[in-house]
Amino acid sequence: MIKNTNGKSAFLILTKVLLLWLPLVLASPSKAFGYIDPGAGTFVYQTAYAMLLGGTFYLRRMLDRVWRKRK
Amino acid sequence: MIVSPEAEAPLNIPSFRDPAGFVFRQEDRILRVVNPAWVPGLEAFLQTRTAREGTRSGRLVRSTRSLRSDAGELGAHADYIIEHERIPFPAYPYEWPPEMLHAAAALTLDFARQALEEGFGLKDATPYNVLFRGSQPVFVDVLSFERRDPADGIWMAYGQFVRTFLLPLMASRYFGFPLSGVLGSPRDGLEPETLYRWAGWRRRLMPRFLSLVSLPKWIALCERAGASRYHRKPADSPEEARFVVEGILKSCQRHLAALEPREINSSAGTGNASTWSGYLDGKSIYTPGQLVQKEVFVAEALALAKPRTVLDVGANEGHFSFLAARQGCSVVAIDSDPVVTGSIWRRAARERYDVLPLVVDLTRPTPAIGWRNLECASFLDRARGGFDLVMMLAVIHHMLVTERVPLEDLLALAAELTREYLLIEFVAPEDPMFQRIVRGREELYAHLTHSRFEAAAAQRFELVRTMQIDGLHRWLYLFRRRRAAG
Repeated sequence: MIKNTNGKSAFLILTKVLLLWLPLVLASPSKAFGYIDPGAGTFVYQTAYAMLLGGTFYLRRMLDRVWRKRK
Repeated sequence: MIVSPEAEAPLNIPSFRDPAGFVFRQEDRILRVVNPAWVPGLEAFLQTRTAREGTRSGRLVRSTRSLRSDAGELGAHADYIIEHERIPFPAYPYEWPPEMLHAAAALTLDFARQALEEGFGLKDATPYNVLFRGSQPVFVDVLSFERRDPADGIWMAYGQFVRTFLLPLMASRYFGFPLSGVLGSPRDGLEPETLYRWAGWRRRLMPRFLSLVSLPKWIALCERAGASRYHRKPADSPEEARFVVEGILKSCQRHLAALEPREINSSAGTGNASTWSGYLDGKSIYTPGQLVQKEVFVAEALALAKPRTVLDVGANEGHFSFLAARQGCSVVAIDSDPVVTGSIWRRAARERYDVLPLVVDLTRPTPAIGWRNLECASFLDRARGGFDLVMMLAVIHHMLVTERVPLEDLLALAAELTREYLLIEFVAPEDPMFQRIVRGREELYAHLTHSRFEAAAAQRFELVRTMQIDGLHRWLYLFRRRRAAG
């Protein structure tokens, strides 16, 4: 199993991403400031794409740490 | 943010949707009232590198603080007013060829990405935020920029960007729909459902259609979420939020790059060539010598009239618009064909000519549209009395025959559009091009001679100079508007 600098496994980090970040994206309402129509399917598509990008962000960060540690 | 009722735009103001403020015109000045809650954000944005460099390069409208006392009745109760530079001829997205919509989309994304680096975002993304100074797009809505919540990982304007830029470009590219049909009456562009209906099964599964049309359509079918779906969702960290929004903007840029309108090859008739593409390269009746004769007359007329502003009606691929632009004129070139208008824009943008090409048919000019017909003025309201010289070269026979516009009325409209000169080509019924469009209705035009044309013109214009093109039943005229004419 790959270990990062904090000693946590990659698997645990990915689990954190999925369990903590996705519900945040999907369910935490805050103030709505926009005055334009965000669309229906297009907005949900963007949310899903944002989730994918968020996952990529953590994956890249994790791989960076692993890479730095190996060096 | 709560907006107090007195902060909203008064009645009869064409700009009223944005709670941050509204724009109005005070004689020849363009003024914007900014509601107090949005003033700090606007002032901070105007200090950013994005705003300063954008203004310097002419890509962002110039804005200066204005005094309340200068702003007339509408500004009398406003605390904060800014004045914008005036863009010479405002034109709306439904009058643009696809090339201009593409350029406006690229400008919008450029600003969204630059502003993101400085902590700002675009709260809306519509082509109505962009006007064209000649062929150059200018972002004119400075209140679209707002300070971003650093933890916000969603671009709220994404849906609007897709509806008003990407889907109309797809409709134009894949289905040949003119923008006048997809951006005029529907103010907020096209819904994915509309394109989904037009596309067959194979096209619905193409990657571009899948992400912009089919998936949003299928998701909307299953969507039963409440309003909380549309509220901002904080990401875990500002770095993550920025990474996500950058990714969304990059994805929009990739779609946009793939939807760039194809350049036509007029001589080969390839690409999106239309009936009017490459007209002067082989479809017109002019021999090279006759064309030179016409060019010389036009160039001399322009040198004599010295117009600053020119309206070229039926500009085709802009041969004479560019001739006028080379003589220092600011030209609005109109033609009903989006393909030739697009080719004018490409050349004007590439060679930096002050030419604004618009898809407008003068016999069916763009009407006033929007709420109370006040949001977007009609073409004629914007053009009337707006030009030092109006050119109507090889076009009036189409208006007389195809559209059955009475000659006297056509000249009356020309007199309304020009402040001074009319440069016009009369094509007689004996001309082969006239005969090609008259198709058996010769009797209707038997009375139409160049003498009759001159008599009709004399009611509103005085003749400055004229010339018959050698070997053709065509006459060129430079007229000067009589002072009392209207």
